[in-house]
Amino acid sequence: MLVTEPARADETCQSPYMAKITGLEDFVYVWTLGVEGLGDGSDKLVTVDAREASPTFGKPIHAASVGGRHEAHHGGFTDDRRQFWAAGLSDSRIFIFDVASEPAKPRLVKVIDDFVERSGGAAGPHGAYALPGRMLIPSLSNRDGTGRAALVEYSNEGDYVATHWLPTEAAPNGARIEATADGYGYDARVLPRRNVMLTSSFTGRENYMRPLGDLMKDGEAMKRFGQTMVVWDFHARQPRTVLSVPGVPLEIRWAWGPQHTYAFTSTALTAKLWLVREDAHGAWSAKPVADIGDPSTLPVPVDISLSADDRTLFVDTFMDGTTRVFDVSDPDRPRQIYEKKIGAQLNMVSQSWDGKRIYYTSSLLANWDKTGVENEQFLKAYTWNGRELAARFAIDFTAERLGRPHMMAFGAAALYAP
Amino acid sequence: MRPAALLGLAALALGAAARAHDGHAPRPEAAAGFPIPPPGSYRLPPIKPAGGGAVLDEAGRSRDLLGRDLPGDTPGITVLALIYTRCGDVCPLASAGMARLQDLAATDPAVARRMRLVTLSFDPEHDTPEVMRSFAAAWRSADPAAPAWAFLTTPGRDALAPILAAYGQRVDARPGGTLNHVFRAFLIDTGGRVRNIYSLDVFEPSLILTDIRTLLLEDAGSGGARGR
Repeated sequence: MLVTEPARADETCQSPYMAKITGLEDFVYVWTLGVEGLGDGSDKLVTVDAREASPTFGKPIHAASVGGRHEAHHGGFTDDRRQFWAAGLSDSRIFIFDVASEPAKPRLVKVIDDFVERSGGAAGPHGAYALPGRMLIPSLSNRDGTGRAALVEYSNEGDYVATHWLPTEAAPNGARIEATADGYGYDARVLPRRNVMLTSSFTGRENYMRPLGDLMKDGEAMKRFGQTMVVWDFHARQPRTVLSVPGVPLEIRWAWGPQHTYAFTSTALTAKLWLVREDAHGAWSAKPVADIGDPSTLPVPVDISLSADDRTLFVDTFMDGTTRVFDVSDPDRPRQIYEKKIGAQLNMVSQSWDGKRIYYTSSLLANWDKTGVENEQFLKAYTWNGRELAARFAIDFTAERLGRPHMMAFGAAALYAP
Repeated sequence: MRPAALLGLAALALGAAARAHDGHAPRPEAAAGFPIPPPGSYRLPPIKPAGGGAVLDEAGRSRDLLGRDLPGDTPGITVLALIYTRCGDVCPLASAGMARLQDLAATDPAVARRMRLVTLSFDPEHDTPEVMRSFAAAWRSADPAAPAWAFLTTPGRDALAPILAAYGQRVDARPGGTLNHVFRAFLIDTGGRVRNIYSLDVFEPSLILTDIRTLLLEDAGSGGARGR
């Protein structure tokens, strides 16, 4: 990243347009799915105290409930980091929290409840990605519940700006198609210095809201998963190339190095690590570069996290609850250097900018999480010394009557203090 | 005298890893380091209304930020940068980027006549009209073909607050007198609407000039960039 704002400590894998945290994180915000009969049963933004000198270190210290369950999933800060936008996949609501006024106690200040109508039919807002003065919301679905998806822009004030549909074979919108264009969406991330945006692809509401056991038995439904990534002219918001990346490519992580023009993703159904890269002639391609665990056992890679020095990639797999660490200093030849079972199920991973603190959460989707004793719901914090993880603290979100913890984001009071 | 070193640093920092082109003046695409989409080939949907408000020009005269009475003005496209002159990190790079934009626009007088640059300080206690005049002398091009570039401040915090609110710009005072802020610049069309917002990551003069040309084509009714 050739930027501009002073280099500071923060978590990796965030929008490059965002203000960065100076020093250590004070809080970890956890966007948490409500569970019927547990606490207030509602989705909520939980504040976990990450200040080691605090008497409440490692404890949940606040929960901002939004009322009701909306399939809480991902979210993100605005570019000035004063707001956290949290999306609900089931009813397409977007909850906007003020995290600046009182960073330990985020406050719900606005709800966008007409996302589908204003966007022209996009549904299932997935994440929230900071652009200058705006937020980019990739959708997973549409008002019909299929996987046709869009990127929807809002101003930081929460007003609708524009919708950009993912390209399909019927409506390629000028894109070159390698194999197919399914029009599905998931993640969207920008490499500003190349004016490139990458998007990945998951599945529509008809699949992600369905119990996983039923879904896996439905051969036709299982065909309706993403097989593509799209390279966009970011400034023009126009798709240029639809890459063939079979197996459901999910999280996208751009390398940070100023000469590193590549990104990693993992494919959930084929358990492979993929490298997406621009060649010397400006052409983009994707290729698998490593297996993640034993693909034949369907470990289902979910979140990944790339270190700020582009050398270490953490990869979580949901089914076996394991995190694997790859040395990716040679991006063409990732090499696994460590693995550890974190719990019975595992989804998100966030790491600090210095790579020393790693946080994990457990929940994938309300209907896809494991059941019975394997339905562990936790946030677990570790230190990483380059060789192994050592436990710092753990929070049982069921025992705390909070819910299913999903997306994590770091907060710091110093961002806003005079 | 413009700080040449900063101009060079800005070019580098803004991703303008200039490639040599056999002695020819670099084309915008070359300066950007990536292909620039043709003007009018994309949309710039309106983001929000631009805010006006009471400001002071370099001579201390009262003006309106969006008024058409600023020096050298004709109705046109505005690029508005919010900075303060004591800023030691991002603001000098932003001013260097504005200077590069002014230079680039000067190569197309037809466009230069229909645009203006505005730098507005959010530090009225320090950035008096006299300070802004001195600051302008350090940055503004003397090329008569260059677009107008106004350096403005406000009479005080009361006048500044609604302007910052309109642009969603938060400024927090820090110990030692520095001001904590995220740099943003705004592309404002002739109808007073914000059509793009730039951070330093995307403050690439050739891209911004393409945005300006896109809006001019739209005004002429020949661009594909109508809002929504």
